[in-house]
Amino acid sequence: MSQNTATVPDERLVKGNHDFASITKLISDIPQEKTPLWWYIAFGISNILLAVMLAMVVWLVWEGIGVWGLNQPVGWAWDITNFVWWVGIGHAGTLISAILFLFRQGWRTAINRFAEAMTIFAVMCAGLFPAIHVGRLWTIYWIFPLPNSMQLWPNFNSPLLWDVFAVFTYLIVSTLFWYVGLVPDLATMRDKVKGKISKMVYGLFALGWTGGNRQWQNYEKAYMILAGLATPLVLSVHTIVSFDFAVSIIPGWHTTIFPPYFVAGAVFSGFAMVLSLMIITRKLYKLEDIMTVDHIEKMNIIILVTGTMVGFAYAMEFFIAWYGGVEYEKFAFINRAFGPYAWAYWIMITCNVVAPQFFWVKKFRRNIVLTFILSIVINIGMWFERFVIVVTSLAQDFLPSSWGYFSPTYVDVLTYVGTFGLFFTLFLLFMRFLPMISIAEIKGVMPQANPAYYRTQNGHSKKTD
Amino acid sequence: MEKEQQQTYWRSLNELAQNEEYRKFAEREFPENATELKDGVSRRNFLQIMGASVALAGLASCRKPVQKILPFTRQPEHLVPGIPLYYASSLPFRGSLSGVVVETNEGRPTKIEGNDLHPGSKGRTNTRQQAAILELYDQDRSRKVRRNGEDSSWSDFVNFCSEHFSDTNRRVAFISEANSSPALDRLRNAALNRFPNAQWVTYEPFNEESLYSGIGLAFGRRLRPLYHFDKSKVTVSLEDDFMQHSDNDVAYIGEFARSRSVSSPDSQPSRLYVAESNYSLTGSNADHRLRIKSSEIPGFTFALAARLSESLPGLDAFSGYRNEYSDHSWISVLAEELLRNRGESIVTAGAGHDTPVHAAVAAINLALGNAGHTVEYLEVPYIAQNDQNDALRDLAGEMRTGNYDTVVLIGTNPVYTAPADLDFTGALDHVSEKIHLSLHYDETSRAGTWHIPRAHPLETWGDGHSYNGIRSVIQPMIQPLFGGKSETEFLNTVVNGEDAGGHDLIRETWQDLLPSAFESSWNEVLHDGLQKNTRYSSVDVSLVTGFAAEAAEFLGRPMEHSIDAVELVIQPDPKLHDGRFANNGWLQELPDPMTKITWDNVALLSPNTAERFGLPPARKFGDPDQQVIRITTQTGAQAEIAAWVLPGHADNSITIYTGYGRRKIGRVADQVGVDIYPLRSSDNSLFITNVNVESAGRTYVIASTQDHHSLEGRPHIQDADLDYYRQNPTFAQDAVYVPGTFGGEREHPVSLFSDKEWPDHEPQWGMAIDLNSCIGCGVCTIACQAENNIPVIGKREVRRGREMHWIRTDRYFKGDDHGNPKVMHQPVPCMHCDNAPCEQVCPVAATTHSNDGLNQMTYNRCIGTRYCANNCPFKVRRFNFFNYSKEYLTTGDDPEIIQMAMNPDVTVRFRGVMEKCTYCVQRISRAKIDTKNKTGDSIKPPDGTVVTACQQACPANAISFGDISDENSIVSIEKSKDRNYLMLEELNIRPRTSYLAKIRNPNRDVPEQS
Repeated sequence: MSQNTATVPDERLVKGNHDFASITKLISDIPQEKTPLWWYIAFGISNILLAVMLAMVVWLVWEGIGVWGLNQPVGWAWDITNFVWWVGIGHAGTLISAILFLFRQGWRTAINRFAEAMTIFAVMCAGLFPAIHVGRLWTIYWIFPLPNSMQLWPNFNSPLLWDVFAVFTYLIVSTLFWYVGLVPDLATMRDKVKGKISKMVYGLFALGWTGGNRQWQNYEKAYMILAGLATPLVLSVHTIVSFDFAVSIIPGWHTTIFPPYFVAGAVFSGFAMVLSLMIITRKLYKLEDIMTVDHIEKMNIIILVTGTMVGFAYAMEFFIAWYGGVEYEKFAFINRAFGPYAWAYWIMITCNVVAPQFFWVKKFRRNIVLTFILSIVINIGMWFERFVIVVTSLAQDFLPSSWGYFSPTYVDVLTYVGTFGLFFTLFLLFMRFLPMISIAEIKGVMPQANPAYYRTQNGHSKKTD
Repeated sequence: MEKEQQQTYWRSLNELAQNEEYRKFAEREFPENATELKDGVSRRNFLQIMGASVALAGLASCRKPVQKILPFTRQPEHLVPGIPLYYASSLPFRGSLSGVVVETNEGRPTKIEGNDLHPGSKGRTNTRQQAAILELYDQDRSRKVRRNGEDSSWSDFVNFCSEHFSDTNRRVAFISEANSSPALDRLRNAALNRFPNAQWVTYEPFNEESLYSGIGLAFGRRLRPLYHFDKSKVTVSLEDDFMQHSDNDVAYIGEFARSRSVSSPDSQPSRLYVAESNYSLTGSNADHRLRIKSSEIPGFTFALAARLSESLPGLDAFSGYRNEYSDHSWISVLAEELLRNRGESIVTAGAGHDTPVHAAVAAINLALGNAGHTVEYLEVPYIAQNDQNDALRDLAGEMRTGNYDTVVLIGTNPVYTAPADLDFTGALDHVSEKIHLSLHYDETSRAGTWHIPRAHPLETWGDGHSYNGIRSVIQPMIQPLFGGKSETEFLNTVVNGEDAGGHDLIRETWQDLLPSAFESSWNEVLHDGLQKNTRYSSVDVSLVTGFAAEAAEFLGRPMEHSIDAVELVIQPDPKLHDGRFANNGWLQELPDPMTKITWDNVALLSPNTAERFGLPPARKFGDPDQQVIRITTQTGAQAEIAAWVLPGHADNSITIYTGYGRRKIGRVADQVGVDIYPLRSSDNSLFITNVNVESAGRTYVIASTQDHHSLEGRPHIQDADLDYYRQNPTFAQDAVYVPGTFGGEREHPVSLFSDKEWPDHEPQWGMAIDLNSCIGCGVCTIACQAENNIPVIGKREVRRGREMHWIRTDRYFKGDDHGNPKVMHQPVPCMHCDNAPCEQVCPVAATTHSNDGLNQMTYNRCIGTRYCANNCPFKVRRFNFFNYSKEYLTTGDDPEIIQMAMNPDVTVRFRGVMEKCTYCVQRISRAKIDTKNKTGDSIKPPDGTVVTACQQACPANAISFGDISDENSIVSIEKSKDRNYLMLEELNIRPRTSYLAKIRNPNRDVPEQS
């Protein structure tokens, strides 16, 4: 991509005195250099957590759902909370890749690869929970419309079924999008690496990319089409996830505000997660020139916007509960704020509504330490938002006789903690073996990409990679 | 005959294992020839030999033991595999029989129903009777005759008896459970004749002895009062929980419900007043309830008698008497009501109260003209002429002085239950031979020398009388599973030193009881389950001449209570009674009707009393930890038990149920709850007037199935006073809450579509539950559990909120007054919504709607997302969080015992699937098949042929079920009543189960007490 009209000059997206060659070197050297010690430590910890998660899943399948703290009114708790939370995190990637792409936001190039990878791994973590939360894991394939001699079909009325389709579609399209974007960079890696086997593997996945004009032309078209396909998905996935609740009749779930509210919340938490990861990575790999404070500030603005939307939704839920006049709904929301789960509600409000208010101030938006802390706080808040929605609504619904209270068991906790093992294992592998930043695209937003650049500044052309 | 053939069949299989050829084959590691392989054999040879030997092996194993198996060449009459048979029988409890019908599947009793022909049960049952099936299949029942704790045999015991009891001068003490068996009575007389130095005591830890003695005091004879609640317009219960603790509870509940029935605004239901300390089940059904301490009941009763004496002749003994209750507002109200309804009222007092209370009550009933009308006095030949509580106390004393060398205990467990001051264990130490017949190897068995396993009433012959004296035979449904002996067989061996079968003993007795054509009348008794035209004779009563003097004596006694002293009331458990049902998982897991506690007993106290001892007056929502208190009596006996605040309990009073804290009885009973018997003494069997209470400084986890007790102003349960109902007959339907109109104008939901109510298919099933009849006993839950193979899951899982009952009874407290709230009971099964929210959200269509309107659950298809349960507004769906059925059915040494209790018509559910009430679809299917077989094409069973398990068990007849597309069906008639309403109608889920609102009949003149 190129940035060819600039009447008001933007801040340069890539800082430092980089040219194309130094950018290529900066990014493609990371997978080639010696594996740093911290990586081994981080990978080891992630693997332990992954093993914990696997052990918990095996225990769950072996013993039954009862190893979780679920009970009669509360049929879903941490499982679906974690699912929605991870799916929400998975939103940032496609939003950055597709929507910002269509809106020609050049700054996305510094983080899109990174965010897309995060998306895919987060969706994998998310997908785990609906799979293992069923009572009979061995029959889970029945939710797919598989032709069979009994003529049994799934129930197409069920939001849970829509959910399966939505999440799978999202996973497939995100993966494709990510992979297509990777192809030119994989070719760069193929050309750079020394080892025979790595050359072969990179080469295999580079699909014979030569960087020819015709290839670039087709590539850009394909990328544009995929961006177009992915854009509605960004909105649809979380909309459909929200249908799991909105379509039911439980007070606190049965709310029409859920689709936009869930999408905003998802972007909110997704951006927070990208920031958490990015702030560490840019430091460790010295990528401050590419992932600049300007990027962080832009993302903080999006967090502020979506956070405000989420806060508005909280207020609107209360308003509608009062305005709608449904006693049960009124109770459900008052009970959230002042009932047995009030602690969870107020954690949510503090983290999601109060915390982002710092970002009204430019100084705070550009403060890396504060941004890092708040990005974590926001994700804690978003986890509690889902917990509040899922658990408090179920725990106290229509008949007071059935009201209950949910407390997690160690299996609930360790399964959730274990998914970080899965996530970081995959993410560390990604950081180790693939170019974290889109080399080809980042060059497109550099001044050097302007065809007039060399004429006006250096007067001679320079061959690009 | 069936049994013999069965045995032959099994024996032949045994022989198959023992036949010579087979054994040789089994012993050889390889088939013949295979071992003859020599070294150096070629590959080709090897294959040849192997092929041959495999073929031979195949042939050998194919050979059928044709000559050994005997097929059913003559099938036993009526025995069709898969079709259950029903037999009339009876179940004894505390000396009274209840008529039941037992369903047997291929020889296994699987379900108990009431006997329609029996006037005592009228086809209905209580929780104990429903749970008798599980008691029969209790793996922990004793299986061995034991002598001094070591294994022995029945024949050894017979030999011992013929030798030991050959000396007729032995001083033998017989201690027996209450019994009304003619056969046992015959043997009892034989025993007393044979052993002139013998003594016979009937011992029940909770009995009606003081009731009989009180009536004896008034009328000169120990008689049994039989109430006719259906004829009573005003009933005054002075702490008599007749719905829970009467031996005639099933009949009483039915009569009471009939007297309360409201079919239209013109109906005139009866009125119930209850004065009590604990909030009992009966109290929860009262129109007016006065909470007073148990120790205040005597004074209250005498004050009432004194007030009545002002207007009634016949109560002169009480005239002029005054005490602190004489000016109580309730006394004048009750007196007025009773005087207005002379001959149509009942006054009754709890059996645990002292003799004077019952004497006063008997005198009141006589003076009011109730005797002979609403209260009948029956001459029961099985009631001893002296107070058996005193007899036991005397006997224990004599045992301690070495007066007896042998004690024969028939079924009772006094080491566990006897009053602590008797020190029964110590008394037993002074007796050399202690012979005990019991179902379990229990506390008394352990203290004895001989233990004989007792046969369950479902596996043995027996006989007896119902509470009102209808004579019945107990038929065995199955051979004794563990070689147990009935009390008649046992006593016969003791008395006669010989081994005779129960069948012969009963028949021998009945030779005198039946008319001349013995065989035909005997068969009729067996068939019907009762002997027609038998009943205890009703006695005309009159006050004894010296009653005034007697009354002056007991009225002159000092009242033993003070307002501030804390009394401890010890009551039998609503489920486990005195502890005899402690090893019954169904009963342990049945939520207590009032507290909804499972698997424990607690110290029940009022919010004020809790505050007095520094305990929180209300439980924290969702917190299972309860404060433990230490209760110390004046004699120093102590118990530490969790405190439980029960709104409506009398202040400064604590109620604890017995039956818990058993040791080494079985896997269910052990370590559950606290044994409170050490605090109970023979002087204070009901209440102890002054105990010390302090915090024990620790907490204890209690598993309760209902955490929240207020309706929060929601219209789920509709109730109204009679006056209000008469002005607004459709108040319940009008209470449907539509958004925006709450508290104002009411509207019914309107559908946008002109959809039909149901498909073009008949029948359409529906249910109506009359909350006006329901008393909240919980028998529906046990009946459903027995019918539908619902597992017992244990305290831990109940505590986690995972109880599996398909029908639960919700209990709410209502009213601003936290001291004395009203209580409402509401049974909640699946509502079978026409527009079911659960069906819409299941991703695999595992829960769907049938043509006849059932919300079906296909277990095989369920993958267990629990989405349906989340979306169910009634929360009636139950999830198998673990493999409950497997744990329930395969633990223990011989799990096949409990497996025999399973209903073969109902699937046993696997872990990970959802389950819920099916409207007893197996019964519907059976009725449909029967109808089709009979009519050829119709699958619409006649009204009343499909009876759900809950409906069938309900003693109050609160549940009706049937075809709602037929407007003449009983359920349609019920649903067309003005009190009919749908729970959560505003959600437009269109439940098939509807409720009929509860009508209270309060007296405006009664001031509300807090």
